[in-house]
Order: sequence, then C-alpha cells, then structure tokens
Amino acid sequence: MNIRESVVSKVTSFPTLPYMAQRLLSLTNDPEADLSEIGKIVQYDPALTANVLKAANSAFLGFSKPVESLTEASFRIGTNWVFQIAVSSLIYSNLRVPAEGYELSGEDLWRHSLAVALMAENLCSLLKAENAGAVFTGALVHDIGKIALSEFVAEEYETIQKVVTKNNFSFEEAEEKILGVGHAEVGAIIAENWRFPKPIVDIIRWHHHPEGTEEPTVGIDIVHVADSLCLMQGLGIGRDGLQYRCNNDSILRLKLSNDLIEVAFSQVVSSLSNFEDMFTDKPVPNKVRM
Amino acid sequence: MALKIVGISEIYVSKNPTDELVAHSLGSCIGLTVYDPVAKVGGMIQYMLPLSKIAPAKAKDKPGMFGDTGVPELLRKVCDMGASKERLIVKAAGGSELLDQNNLFKIGERNYLVLRKILGINNILIKAEDIGGNLSRTLKLELSTGRVTVKSAFGGVIEL
Repeated sequence: MNIRESVVSKVTSFPTLPYMAQRLLSLTNDPEADLSEIGKIVQYDPALTANVLKAANSAFLGFSKPVESLTEASFRIGTNWVFQIAVSSLIYSNLRVPAEGYELSGEDLWRHSLAVALMAENLCSLLKAENAGAVFTGALVHDIGKIALSEFVAEEYETIQKVVTKNNFSFEEAEEKILGVGHAEVGAIIAENWRFPKPIVDIIRWHHHPEGTEEPTVGIDIVHVADSLCLMQGLGIGRDGLQYRCNNDSILRLKLSNDLIEVAFSQVVSSLSNFEDMFTDKPVPNKVRM
Repeated sequence: MALKIVGISEIYVSKNPTDELVAHSLGSCIGLTVYDPVAKVGGMIQYMLPLSKIAPAKAKDKPGMFGDTGVPELLRKVCDMGASKERLIVKAAGGSELLDQNNLFKIGERNYLVLRKILGINNILIKAEDIGGNLSRTLKLELSTGRVTVKSAFGGVIEL
C-alpha cells in the first residue's frame, strides 16, 4: 500500500459525525430553509442546546435576565446568531482534536477554524454574498483534513519541509508530492463520507487552490482569502506556518481593497475573542427549558 | 516566573523582575519589546495593522491594534512606569508574509515600515530584529535581565 492509499483508507474509517450534526450542517447549505428549522434540530440534542444557551448567556452579550430557551435565544440574539453558535459548538465538541504532525493543539486548530469562519462571514456581509450559512460552515471545517493527515505529516515532516524550501512549493503542494495527497483533498473526502452538501465539500477541497475548480464560486474565493488572511496573521497556526499562497484572481474576483481587508481584520479579532469567551466554561442557567 | 501572554492588539508593561512577557504565533503582526536596563522596566506590544485611520473608534478602544497608536502608547506606558526613553533597548520580531505575496495586503511589510517611522520620530534605533520571511515566531522578554528571544518553527530559538 503506498502512502496515498494508506491515507485514504484511514479517512474512510475516520469517525462519523453524530446524525444530528449531519442534519444541521446539511441545512446550512439550503438558503430556502427556514432558519427556525435549526432550532427544531438543536432542541433534540441536550448538549447542543445547553451550549447555545451558555453562549447566549455569556458575559459578552450581557443580558441581565438569563436566556432560558432556544426560542427566547432566537428572539433576543437573532436566529442567525443561534445558527452560528450551534454550528460552532458542534464543531467545537466534535472536532477539537490536535493535529500533532502540524504541531497544532486542538485549541489552535479550533481557533484557526473559528477565525477563518468569522473572517469569511465578515467578507460575506461586506460583499453581500449569498449563502453565507454554507460559507460559514465550510470555513469552520476547511482544515478537517489536517486531523486525518497529521500522523503521516509527522512521519514525513522533514522531507515535506525540504520540498517547500527547495522547490518554493506551498506546504500543501509538498504534502501532495510526498504523501500523494494534501490536507484539502483529504478533508474533502471526509466531508463526502459525511454526506456534506457539495458546496461545502468544494470549499474544503479548493481552499488552497481556488484555480483548480471548474466551477468557481464566491464561497470558495471567500474561504480561500479568509484562510490566507488568518494564516498570514498567525491566528491558530502550526509549523506549516505561512507557507501557503493567496491566489490573486480570487482577490480580484471579490474586488477586495486593502482598506476593506483591514476593516474586516479589525472586526474579526474583536469577535474572535468574544466567541472564544463564549466557549469557555460559564454556568448554564438552572432552569433549562427545551 | 510569571508568564504574561501579550495577545493580538495588547500592550503589557511591567517592572516585576519575575515576569516574562510572551507574544505567540507572530505572523504579519509585529511584536515589539522595550526595556530600560537601569530602571528594569519593560514592555511589549503585539499590533496587527499599520494605521488606525481605517477604524478610529477601534483605535480609541484598543490602541494596541495599530502600529501608529500602539507603539507611542507603549512608549508612554513604560516611561510612566519609570523608564527613560533615551535608555530604552528596542527589539522587534514578526512582519512575515505568505509565499510570493505581491498582492494587495502587504500588511507585514507595512507594519514594519510604520514601526521604523514612529521610532525614527522618537529618535530610537532598533537594537535587534527578526523580521519578514514566511515564519511564525514567538517573542519573549525576561524582565529580570532584559533578555529577548525568538522561537520559530525551523529557526529554533535565537537571542536578539
């Protein structure tokens, strides 16, 4: 078995997401879906409900009277917020695992994913892009391939790094050369196994190479640029560091200006720390109604 | 030894000799250390963007987010704590970029240019620096000695 085959066989045995999680994530891709549908799914998962309420009651949102139900949370903070918290919480509980081959702790990987999701959401809103739900979710899971590829990267790290330095390859291109597959492709295979909607699979697959797809979308461009910006800024990065490229065509297609990018940065860093606070341990209100 | 983490947009000053100030994962951000070896007062900033004009309200709330507001604020704070501007030893790290970055956001390079400009106005020279490239760096300042180190993925630990 060559390395690529070993990787792919590992990927097919990668843990599955809980059924509720798959349903919720699938819904994020449907712009026609009534956002209250999300509440209907969340309410059957007590841990998820507790997390949403905990986040809604975090100091950052600062309500004097505690939020005690999902309906109330939707009413007070908006369904879009409930959705973002629910999806983030889902990924936080299921995918906050280390990728040691990249020297990424679970917290680092989570922080990077959250930063890219918030940056992507910010760009969606500044550019008035459609289907922001799928873009947010795609951004949140764009690096899941690193979890599965981690042990192979750990074994071949010296060789991969040599190829990066000698050939001016990006870290992902060097993964492909040495392991036969890069973390973006591995992530896309996992997402396909989890039956994620195609737009999310495409965002994962092309997040380092938007030029590779025959069907370019705004979502792929946005997540590619958001990821590049967060890597550049050092938000939750590992030893692969800043050894990636940002495709200029994506920037041109999105018509991004320097000022717009910097404004997005200043906003994302503030919301990142607010979001991180939400996921640290805070008391859940006693009377939780579902 | 008390480790004080200086996060993005934060400024920290101290005269406690047991403190070690650390800025983790500097990419295009600049981490700057200042230290007065006589008063044994030191400080650190990790700023992310060069100029505050893009978000003046944010700059008021968090001056450490921008080079043009954060660096003067750091200098003011260490001087308020007893440091003398003339004696300050200033060292910098960060300002990295992605591979072949020739597009819109040369934030790392611009962050560094702003630093040179502000220190120039204040007649302060950078004593040592580790700037640019595609590295992620961790910068540390020991308050007891003023020792500054930079750790990076494949450069190991170097002393500035």
